[in-house]
Amino acid sequence: MDALSYFATSWVSPELFGLTALGTFLGIYIGAIPGLSVTMAVSILISFTFSWDVNNALCLMVGVYMGGVYGGSRTAILLNIPGAPSAIATALDGYPLAQKGLAGEAIGLSTVMSVIGGFVGIIVLALAAPTVSKFAITFQPRDYMMLGILGITLVGSLSGGSLAKGIFAGALGLLVGTVGLDPMTAQERFTFGDVNLWNGINPVAVMIGMFGVGEALHQLHYMDKTVVKQKINRILPKLSDLKKYLPLSLQSSLLGVIIGALPGTGGDIAALMAYDHAKRITKNPKVPFGEGAKEGLIAPESANNAAVGGAYIPMLTLGIPGDAVTAVFIGALFIHGLNPGPLLLTEQPHMFWFTVGNLTLSNIFVLIFGLTGIKIFSKIVECPKGILIPIIFLLSIVGSYAINNSIVDIWWMLAFGILGYFMRLYRFPVGPVILGVILSSLTDQNWRRAILSERGDLGPFFAHIFTSPLSTVLFLAIVWIFFTQTPIWTKMLKPRLFRKKSST
Amino acid sequence: MKKTVLTLLTALSLSSTASFAAYPDKDIQGIIQWGAGGSTDTVMRSIAPHVEKLLGTDIILTNKTGGVGAIATKYVYAKRADGYTLLMGAENPQMYKVLGLGKIDYSDMIPIDILARGTPIIVANSNAPYNNMEEFLDYLHNHPDQVKIGSTGKGGMTSLVLAMLKSQTKMNYISIPYNGDGPALTAIQSGAIDVMPAVLGAAIEQVKAGRMKVIGLIDNEPNKLLPNIKPVTDTLPGMKKYLPWGPFFGVFVKKGTPKVAVEKLQTAFHKAALNPDFIKLMDKRGYSILNISGKKARNFLDSYRSTSSWLAYEGGVAKISPAKFGIPKP
Repeated sequence: MDALSYFATSWVSPELFGLTALGTFLGIYIGAIPGLSVTMAVSILISFTFSWDVNNALCLMVGVYMGGVYGGSRTAILLNIPGAPSAIATALDGYPLAQKGLAGEAIGLSTVMSVIGGFVGIIVLALAAPTVSKFAITFQPRDYMMLGILGITLVGSLSGGSLAKGIFAGALGLLVGTVGLDPMTAQERFTFGDVNLWNGINPVAVMIGMFGVGEALHQLHYMDKTVVKQKINRILPKLSDLKKYLPLSLQSSLLGVIIGALPGTGGDIAALMAYDHAKRITKNPKVPFGEGAKEGLIAPESANNAAVGGAYIPMLTLGIPGDAVTAVFIGALFIHGLNPGPLLLTEQPHMFWFTVGNLTLSNIFVLIFGLTGIKIFSKIVECPKGILIPIIFLLSIVGSYAINNSIVDIWWMLAFGILGYFMRLYRFPVGPVILGVILSSLTDQNWRRAILSERGDLGPFFAHIFTSPLSTVLFLAIVWIFFTQTPIWTKMLKPRLFRKKSST
Repeated sequence: MKKTVLTLLTALSLSSTASFAAYPDKDIQGIIQWGAGGSTDTVMRSIAPHVEKLLGTDIILTNKTGGVGAIATKYVYAKRADGYTLLMGAENPQMYKVLGLGKIDYSDMIPIDILARGTPIIVANSNAPYNNMEEFLDYLHNHPDQVKIGSTGKGGMTSLVLAMLKSQTKMNYISIPYNGDGPALTAIQSGAIDVMPAVLGAAIEQVKAGRMKVIGLIDNEPNKLLPNIKPVTDTLPGMKKYLPWGPFFGVFVKKGTPKVAVEKLQTAFHKAALNPDFIKLMDKRGYSILNISGKKARNFLDSYRSTSSWLAYEGGVAKISPAKFGIPKP
């Protein structure tokens, strides 16, 4: 009963209710602007809400978090510029839908699926938080490394036409990701002695450049092409669609919760993995992936919102942040006099259910705010290119400056924009570049930690993989992915197994 | 959000036409050296509102991370010395010279207030077969190259604590670097590492919950948050010459800032740090409040720099001799 009253705290107080709504609303628009990140918004809110009551402050911040993660999909679908790295996969099939005049339907579908994902995350948080956090903490450096390698294999899914070009783009991304002070030894890598490069090249600057400016430059080729009229009579997705895609959405959501709960990985990797999962399990998509497949929109959107609930799991149960935003939340709790840590649940049991209630409420607001205003938003795509392209440039510049208040990021963004333009021109996919940048340090650092733990010896490294069920599963998954690409499988085994199945 | 960016831009463009008759007559920029959610960030964001009230102006806080804080330090140093750009940082710049990370350290800045100091401790996985420093050092001697000790990069607090210990006793272990104490403290719970030096405040909640244990206190007197832990000087009396020592948080302006501005800022920060809310927060996180400025702060900074620089140099962490920069031996 206590739990229920804590859960309802923010539902019954008009003030808290209003603040959650306001937070969610703000979050959606902050999230939609590339470069304005949820992490930044929440940390600014810490100072802003310093003198407030802790509940009020948390309602606003939780709203911004939930709304922000969803908001990234808006610009991804409408302009092919993901608002945040977690919306990269959304752009792959969302933007083609908008180009076909289906922006309204795409946003509607992504909203509903985001909310479903959000709820899955919240339910897992509410019912299984201690179990999941216990599982998340068993991940060893070698497991993170294998997760990184699994992620790198997604290049195959993201490369569209030519795998070779995809691998090239992915390798470029991995290389870009290694720039900066080596986090392990503080050795300078590819910095040419410049302090500005110590911190590496920001993945968000690369993303805004490749997608935003790259796309805008590319659009200049089609200035005379008439814009696609958007059909906005349908916003709510068809019930049959919902039914058909629900299993995929639930699977992606569960993937999102787990990846979100792991300290060190978040919504960006979750969304990309979910996209890959969708591509693998969808045998005959109505529309091919990359040309506006609904599956390709649903999977990442469910996963990245489910990752929100996931990120809260280690934070509320262990005081360990699940991602960058929950790290800021921990700081906020400290400032407000609470002690986020493994004892939070026993010392402040109301915090847990208050947060769960809050997330639930905010998720409902995502549905409401997400589905209203679609008509106006869809008009953005109908905007004449002469107006739209300068706006994209402006947004990209402001966004890349806002990442770290640094002019250098603007130059990087522009440079990657030009590179992105030529890559598009020669039909190189840009998604794998960003995948590479994101996964570079995860894989690199954890590989080195793993091998350092074995004193540089490969023998025990492989032997230890098989002492842990988790490592074994990850290892077999990697082997399986590579094996299914070899001729032994595709030419010999697969046809035989397939025939056997069809005959029985 | 947009508004903040705009105010920031306007504030930047206005800073060239400032006059000092009525300092402060516009917003002050606070540049935080470390990322959102970290300990420096938390301390600065919790004191700033009190200072704002006392100064009657806004302090716009910005996290400018990178290069172990060197990017923020360089940024503030490149600004006009007018008291409108504050560097809110931790101990790191004091090591830049010997590590070759930069030419500027806190001797090129005026300390407004050294707010607090952290106490280093040594934590271990709860299942580890040692419970105090003696047992740990014994175990280490009997099991060379087996214990995995986490660290947080070159010149960081962990590497200096290890250098201190190594100056007193022989230690052979596997060093596994992490990019922050957060991930490393997580790794200790998963068993990826066995032991690591940490700041008391960062580990205290996990310790209270029994998810890891404290095996050493790097201080010369007992700590009231850890009543059962003997200070390390009981086991290794040679450590006395380095202690008390620990990471700190402070607010700085560039050298050459007008006296009026410096004094106003010093008074405001000093008063703000006496606020009971701030004291309570620092206590809870296990930080010792210093709240010092002027000569006292300078002495503290110099002593930290000489101890740490020589430790790092003699321990092989730093390649450049502190003598080259005229840093005296402790």
